[in-house]
Order: sequence, then structure tokens, then C-alpha cells
Amino acid sequence: MVAVEHLTVAFPARTGGGEVVRDVSFAVNPGERIGLVGESGSGKSMTARAIMQLIPKPGRVASGRVMLLGTELGADPKVAASSWRGTTLSMITQDPLSSLNPLVRIGTQMTEMLRFHRGLGRAAATARARELLASVGIPDPARTLSQFPAVLSGGMRQRVALAIAVSCEPRLLIADEPTTALDVTIQAQVLDLLERLTAEQGSAVLLISHDLGVVASFCDRLMVMYGGRIVESGPTAQIIGAPAHPYTRALMASVPSMTGDLPDRLASIPGSPPAGGVWSTGCAFMPRCPIARAVCATVDPALLTLSGAAEPAAGDGAASQGAADQGAADQGAADQGAADQGAADQGTGTDEAVQHAAACHASQNESWGRAA
Amino acid sequence: MTGEPIVDVTDLQVHFRVRRGLVGYQTVRAVDGVSFTIAAGQTLGLAGESGSGKSTVARSLVRINQPTGGSIRVGGTETARLRGQDLRAYRRRMQMVYQDPYDSLDPRMSVLEAIGEGLAVRGMARAQRRAATEDLLRRVNLPVSLTSRYPGQLSGGQRQRVSIARALAVSPEVIVCDEAVAALDVSIRAQVLNLLKDIQADAGVSYLFISHDLSTLRFMADQVAIMYVGRLVEYGTSSQVFGQPQHPYTKALVAAVPEITATGRTGRTRLTGEPPNPADPPPGCPFHPRCAVAIDICKTLRPTLRRKVGGQFAACHVAPDEAPAVSSQGATPGTPGAEPGPAIGTPSSSEVSA
Repeated sequence: MVAVEHLTVAFPARTGGGEVVRDVSFAVNPGERIGLVGESGSGKSMTARAIMQLIPKPGRVASGRVMLLGTELGADPKVAASSWRGTTLSMITQDPLSSLNPLVRIGTQMTEMLRFHRGLGRAAATARARELLASVGIPDPARTLSQFPAVLSGGMRQRVALAIAVSCEPRLLIADEPTTALDVTIQAQVLDLLERLTAEQGSAVLLISHDLGVVASFCDRLMVMYGGRIVESGPTAQIIGAPAHPYTRALMASVPSMTGDLPDRLASIPGSPPAGGVWSTGCAFMPRCPIARAVCATVDPALLTLSGAAEPAAGDGAASQGAADQGAADQGAADQGAADQGAADQGTGTDEAVQHAAACHASQNESWGRAA
Repeated sequence: MTGEPIVDVTDLQVHFRVRRGLVGYQTVRAVDGVSFTIAAGQTLGLAGESGSGKSTVARSLVRINQPTGGSIRVGGTETARLRGQDLRAYRRRMQMVYQDPYDSLDPRMSVLEAIGEGLAVRGMARAQRRAATEDLLRRVNLPVSLTSRYPGQLSGGQRQRVSIARALAVSPEVIVCDEAVAALDVSIRAQVLNLLKDIQADAGVSYLFISHDLSTLRFMADQVAIMYVGRLVEYGTSSQVFGQPQHPYTKALVAAVPEITATGRTGRTRLTGEPPNPADPPPGCPFHPRCAVAIDICKTLRPTLRRKVGGQFAACHVAPDEAPAVSSQGATPGTPGAEPGPAIGTPSSSEVSA
């Protein structure tokens, strides 16, 4: 449904930038819940913004593309972004204070969407907005419609943002750290709500968070980002049960648990996450990696499936695939990302999309298969 | 639980007068009768949602907020009403590390100046401060080459280490950490938590460690206090409170912690509603509108902290009290005598079974 193909987002070097997202590919199937985990600067939010075509200037998509239902987003200048943004794809952010207009009443912000996109009349839009607010658990919808965002609590604001985001029944809702600013009990409420609303509408969710616990409990499938790349992806149970990348393992070990014996010290990852955009030639995690080898310093590992059952892909790196990509526009026979998407569109054969894959030289063994 | 408490807070009250309407004022009881103790070299974890008053407790300990009632004894000395010279002396014993090192470090002071300020307060001559600063940087695992850097040139984790080094500069007995790791990345958070534990082992410093993250508290704290709308609702050792939470609010908080499992989110108990406005708390038990097990008395009578079956204290009419004769649970946190009258709520307890 939505396919991100070899996406690279770059900022000009003079602004201290560089490639903040590097060669990221994944597909989102209808109704699926995918999680994107990473620390600050890992490129997770920029990936989300690239999908929404909202990369702040002077950043740009340096290569790759985002496909929505078989059409490349942003390719045709005659197609206004408003034809899909907010309707087919919508997004909620960490702090709704920054996404809601503080000077406009909530009712106006909600009915605007419904009137513009759904063609509802004023009265019908207001009625629908009231329904939506009731469905997200706002106690007094009629009153809230006439209020400004600032008078609501953080939890209530996030509910309003969620109500707006689902008002046009998006195919994919991107939730970028939706509960980070909220208290833990409110976080659970908002996640419940996100789960219920998207299940009712059959919307897919891309949940972005630094909190592996939040993402693991919510998503069918996870992607772990580090240094602008996806370093591990696959079904949640497989990643949590048997993390393949040393970064994922370290991330899990560095969070104290609520049960079981307490360690005297937490397993911690030495050093800091890379500042973003400036990478050495090898694996971005190498400087902090407990099992790094010589090759890690020079060659950035490819994302490989852990079960090598499938036939090896022609060629190894993305370079050869990039060339093939040009010719094979839709079917993408040579391009694994597009092939995944083709399969997903027919609602079958999602096996390929949910293969457990990781990018690590040191953990890799002969059973690791083709490029994911 | 060894030794005398270094911090002994009894019935602490911090009330704010806020304007209400054109002429009126209203009293907001941000902290309303909180008692706890922290033993030397130990950590008290304090948890609660926004508006629960946990930061106000922290700020009244370091005397950013003036307590309006109760007592704060540190090392046996009453400190709640210190002023002037005495207050400045007191602040050397009690330091604070804030959530956001972007805000708490002066962007125009280098690391040397920021840490050296504390050393100067201690009366150290300028010539010795550089060496002492480098020592402190080593203690927080930072390279000494950072002395000439400014906060803007440091990462979040480095900045928080500088904040810790600056707090250590005056050799405090107690450090108040108010959400000190909340703004850090997960991998950095573990480093800083380990560092805080190392410092405690080396220097014997006590922490009041405030966090909304219960799993972090479980790792850090010897004792845990859970706060709700200005009062403690549960108080005990970490294993008591997290192992067998007695207050329904604590139970809900524990259940809401997102653990790293792939088992999904079904079957969890959920708390409905939001924390009340501290300016206008509900009558009776302030938790009753959100409580799944509330009974009639909860709507009218505010429960006091009483010792419960797990051995910890909880303020709940419904949670069963410890049987009077049984004391097999052993020591309880702090000094039970410091608790505000466990007997006050007695009339209610007879009506409560289950």
C-alpha cells in the first residue's frame, strides 16, 4: 500500500547535515501495525516526514521514492499534496500543541478537514466532529469544539489530534512519538485509543518511538533504526525473542525491567549515538559495538534476512538494484522492495515483508540469506 | 536500611495562593502533608503523574519553594525556615540535578566555569579549581578536554554528566534528581543511571530520585513513594511497592509500564480519566473517580497512610490493613513514627473488609 524504496534524505553539508536517512526501504500493508524504533538522530522522524513529503528545508530526498497505492508521491507536480495528505496518509506528532493551530478553535480545525476533504456541509461537519470527539473519549465534545487547544491537557490534546487524524479514515496513520509527552497512565489510554480507532477503520499504523516497550507491545512488526539506516527488521516476536543486531540487543538490555532480579548495573552502550548525517564508511554502530570486527570499519553491512531459505538476490548491494529500478517502474522485478509491495497489494504473500532481517557483519552466519 | 535518616521530612506542606477571578485568591495544596525519610547512602524514589506535586517536593527540599508547613530535617537540623547565610550553607548539603540540562546550564559558562562556581562556593582558590574540575569530570566519566567547552557544544548525555559533576562539586550529602534521565536517549540513560549508582557507592550520597518511569525507579531506589494530588498514596521498600502494590493507583501505574514483550497489550488493567486538577481535587480520596474498587466511604473520607498487608504504607480504605499482631514482614521504610498518625483513619477501617 505504502512503499518506501531506497529512501535517502540529505541536508546540505554546509548546514551541518549529510545523509540523515540512508537507503531505507520498507512496505506497509493494509491494516498493519509497524513500529519504528531508534534514538534521537537515528532518522526515524525524518523517514516519517519524507513519507508525508514534509522534509524541512534545506533537506531533500536525495534518492529513492515513496509509493502510495502504486503512485510515486511528489512525482507529479499537478497532484496537490492535499489530495492525499490528511486523508489517505495522516500523521500525529509528539506535541499536538505544535500541530494544532493555537489561535483557531478546535471545532474550526476539525470541521475544516471534513468540509474540504469530505465535502460535508457546516452542520454535518460539526455533527461529525462531535461524534469523533466523543469516540476519542472527550467528556464534553460540544464544549471542546468551541475551545482553543491551549486549555486542554496534554492527553486531551493528543485525543483531539487523533480525532482529526482519523477523521478522513486514512489508509496509513503515522504516529511520531504520540505518547512521549504524556503520563504513563494516559499513554496507555492513548495507545488503546489508537489501537481501537485504526482497527475500526482498517488503517495501518506506523508507530515511531524511542521506547522499545511501547512499540513492541503495539506493533506486529518492528524496524530498528540506527545512524539513518534500518539495522534490524522483522516480526515483533522474533526480534524481541532473538534480537540479531548488537544494537537491538543492547537497547533491550539497557532498559530496567519491572519483574525478575535486578542487576547491580544496567547493560549500557558506551559512547553516544552518532550526531546524524556524518558517517564513516563502515557500520555506523561500529564505534560502540562490543563485537565489532575489522570489516565493520570499512564496509557498511547490508540488511540480510536471517533465514536463508529464499533464493539469493542477483547482486549484493543496492547499487545494482538501483540501476534496475529505473527500468522496472511498477513491477520492480529486480527490486526487492517493489516486489514486496506488489505482493502486499494483492493481500497475499506477506512472508517476504515480515522476514526477520538484520545488518551486521559480526552476527552474520552462513544461514543469513539475501538482501531484505 | 542502615543508620539514621539523613533527610527526615514530616508533614510537609507547600501551598500556593493563586489568583482566582477578579478579586479572589485560591489556595492550591500542591504538597499537602507529605512525610518520608531517606537514610544515608540510600535512594528514595518518588513517582507520580504530572501535577502530583513530586517536583514541588523536590523544589522545597532545595528551598526553591518555601514550605508553608511541616518540617524538613537534614542531618538532624531543621531547615524549612533557614534564611540568608544559613540557607546558603544548607544548599551545599543538598544539590539538585534537573531534567533538562539545556535549561539548567548557563549557555555562556564553560564547563570549567560551571563546575568551578560550585568549587568557589566551597571556598577553593582559583588556582586549584582547574585540577579539581578535571577530577570531577573524571568521576562522571567525561574527558578532561571538555573543560573549555560550552553547553551548546556538548551532547545531552555529556551535559547531564556536567550537571552531575557540578552538583558533586560542593560535596553534598543529598542530591535531588528531578527526572534527571528523562530527556536522555535510552542507551545514554543506562550510562547515567550506572554513574549515579557508582557515585552513591563511592561518596555515600543519598538521592531523592524523581521519575515517572517506574522501571527506572525499581532499578535505582531502595524505598519508593507514590504521590497523587499532593499526598503520598503508597510508601515502602522498592520490593514491597513494586512486588505487591497495595494502592489501586500504584497497581494501575505498574500495569501501565510498557514492558518489552511481544505479547501485545490486551488484558492490562487500565486507568480511566485524568489526574485531577490540584487546585480543585475531588472530595474524599482524590483517586476515587478513577478507582475501580472505590466504595462509598472513598467519596467522603480521605484515607490516611496505614500499614498494609505487604508491610508498606498505603492510603486506601479498600486495601487490607496489616493484621496488628503480625510483624513478620520485618523492617519498614524510614521510621514508622514519622508517619502522620496512622490511627487517624481508624473509624473507617472497621467498615472495610475485603
